[in-house]
Amino acid sequence: MNINAKNKIRSRIITLAVLILVLAVVPGILSVLGKSYYIQVANSALIFCILAASMNLITGTSGLLCLGHAAFFGIGAYAAALAATDLGLPFWVTLPLGGIAGGIAGILVALPTMRLISIYFSVATLGVGEIIHVTLLNWVSFTRGPMGVQIYEPITLFGHRFTSLLSVYYIIAVLACISIWIIWKLTNSYFGNALRSLREDDQCAEAMGINVVKLKIQAFGVSTFFAGIAGAILAHSVGYISPDSFQFSESILILAMVVVGGLGSLPGGLLGALLLILLPEVARGLGDFRMIAVGAVMFLSILLLPRGLFGETSAIDLARRQFNSAWNGRQMVGWK
Amino acid sequence: MDSYFLMQIVNGLSAGMIYALIAIGFTLIFGVLNVVNFAHGEMYTIGAFAGLVCINSLHWPLALVIIVALAAGGVAGVVLEKVAFKPFRRFQDEASLKSRAMREATLLSSLAFSILIKEIIQHFFGAEMQTIPAGYLLNDPIKVGSLTFSTGQFLILGSSVVMLGGLQYVLFHTRIGLAIRAISNNPLGAKYVGLSVDKTIIATFAVGSMLGGAAGIMVGLYQGAIFPYMGYAPSLKAFVAMVMGGLSSIPGAVVCALILGVCESMATNFMTQGWSDMVAYSFLIITLIFFPQGIFGARRERV
Repeated sequence: MNINAKNKIRSRIITLAVLILVLAVVPGILSVLGKSYYIQVANSALIFCILAASMNLITGTSGLLCLGHAAFFGIGAYAAALAATDLGLPFWVTLPLGGIAGGIAGILVALPTMRLISIYFSVATLGVGEIIHVTLLNWVSFTRGPMGVQIYEPITLFGHRFTSLLSVYYIIAVLACISIWIIWKLTNSYFGNALRSLREDDQCAEAMGINVVKLKIQAFGVSTFFAGIAGAILAHSVGYISPDSFQFSESILILAMVVVGGLGSLPGGLLGALLLILLPEVARGLGDFRMIAVGAVMFLSILLLPRGLFGETSAIDLARRQFNSAWNGRQMVGWK
Repeated sequence: MDSYFLMQIVNGLSAGMIYALIAIGFTLIFGVLNVVNFAHGEMYTIGAFAGLVCINSLHWPLALVIIVALAAGGVAGVVLEKVAFKPFRRFQDEASLKSRAMREATLLSSLAFSILIKEIIQHFFGAEMQTIPAGYLLNDPIKVGSLTFSTGQFLILGSSVVMLGGLQYVLFHTRIGLAIRAISNNPLGAKYVGLSVDKTIIATFAVGSMLGGAAGIMVGLYQGAIFPYMGYAPSLKAFVAMVMGGLSSIPGAVVCALILGVCESMATNFMTQGWSDMVAYSFLIITLIFFPQGIFGARRERV
C-alpha cells in the first residue's frame, strides 16, 4: 500500500468521524439536555442543505439561474402528504414518490423551456413557480387550498414508529447525507464536468459533441428530483404543509444560500444553507430582523465575495487565464 | 354590448395602465443596463408609503401627495442605483460588460435589495394593511349613462396618459432622453462619443422609478390598502408585460400591459379571483415558448 492510498483512507476516516460527531453525537447530547428546539432548527437546516445542493447542481454547476425552485419542493411535499393522507401509503413509498413527482414536474417544465437562454429561462422558471403556487392555493378540492394538509401518522419504517424528535432527526440526517453524497458524486463525474462546460460556453460544448438540451433536461430533472425528496421529508417531519411555504421568497432564500456559499461549489452551498438558517436563530434577540439579515448577508456576499465563500468559477478563470498566456506565448494585456 | 362587459373593460384598462407604468420602468432600466431590476416593485411600495405619510401626518392635498410619491419614487430609484447597481459596474472593460457573471451579480443584488426594502418598511409600518382616510379615498361612483365608474379609475387613466406623454417628450425632445436612447442602443459607442454613462443610468433610474412610485400611490388611493408586500404582484405582472413586449420596447410593454389588464378582468367573469392570476403567468409561458423575442420584439427600435 503506497502512501497516497494511506492518506486517502485516513482522510476518509477523519471525515466520517467528524460527520458522525456533528450529525449524531451533538444532537444526542442536545436531546439529553432537553434542548429540543435546536433539533427542530437542525431538521430545517438539513432540509435546506438538500435544497441548496440540488439548486447548486442546476444554478451553480450548469449555470441556469432558476427562480422557481421552491415550487418543485412544494410539489414533492404535496405529493408525499396527499399520498400519505388520502391513500394511506407508508413513508418508504411516499418519499420516493415525492422525489419522482418533483422530477417529472421538472422535466415537464424543462422540455419546452430549455431552449431559452439566460434571463429568459429564469423568467420562465419564475412564471412556472408562480403557476404552481397559484394552483396549490386555489385547487381546493385536491390540495385543500390555504388550509394546507395535515399528516397525523408519524414516520414508520420497518414496522417501527418514529415518534421522538431525535429519531426523526436521525432519519433526516441519514437521508440528507445520502442525497448530498449522490449530488456530490454527480457533480464530480463526467456528467458534472459536461455541465460545467455548458456553464462556461454552451456553444463550444455543443461543437464538441455534447447534446446540450438533453444534458440540461437531465440536470434539471435530477435537481428537481432532490427538491421533491426534500419536500417529502419536510411534509413528514413537520406533519403540516401549506402553500405559504413554497412561495417566491423561499426560492430566493435557496438562491441566496447558493450565492453566499459560492456558485458551483457544493460545500459552499451547504455552508450557505447552514449560515442562512442558523444565523437568524443565533440572532434571535433581533426579532423581526430575520429576513433583513438574509437580504443584507446576500447583498454583502455578492459585493465583497463575488465568488462566494468557496467559489468554483474563480479557479476555472484562473486556469483559463494561465492557459491563455501559455498558448499565446506572451503576457496578458489587460483592457484597462 | 353588455354594459357589464364594458365596465370590466374599463376596470381592466385602469389595472393595465398601472402595469404599464411599472413595466416602463423595467423596460427603461433593461434597455440601458441590460439587467432586470428585481427591486423595481419596491419603488411602487415606497411611492405608496410616502403618500401615506403625507396623508396621515401632514394632511396635504391630493395633488401634492401624488407629487410627493413621484419624487419619493425618483429619489429611491437614484439611491437604489448608487447602492445596489453602481458597485457592480466597477469593471468597465468589454469582457466584464459582456460576462454573464456580472449580469447575474447585479440581478442578485437587486433581489437582495428587494428583500431588504420590503423588510425595512415592514419593520417601521408593520405587516398589516394600512388604511387611507375616507376623505382621500378615490372610489366615489360616477354615473355615465347606464355605467358606473369610480373617480380612481379616471385618475389612473388620466394621469397615466399624462405621464406617458411626459415620458415621450423626455425621451424624444431632451438631451437626457437622447442619451438614454443612445446608450440603450449601443452602450460602448455612446461612451466613445463622450456621453456620461453613469449620469444617464441615474437619470433612467429616476425616470423609471418616478412612474413606479406614482403608480403605487394611485393604486393605494383607489383600493384603499397599503402594505409592505403590495409591490410584488403588480410588478410581476408588469414584468410579464415587459417580456411579452419584447424586453426593450416601451410601446410593446404598454400595449401588452393593457392587454394583460383587460384579459385579467375579463377572466374574473369565468373563474374565481384566485385563478385569474393564472392568466398572466400562462401568457408569460406561452410567450416565452412561442415568441422568445417577445410579441413586439426585434421589429422595433429599442426604447
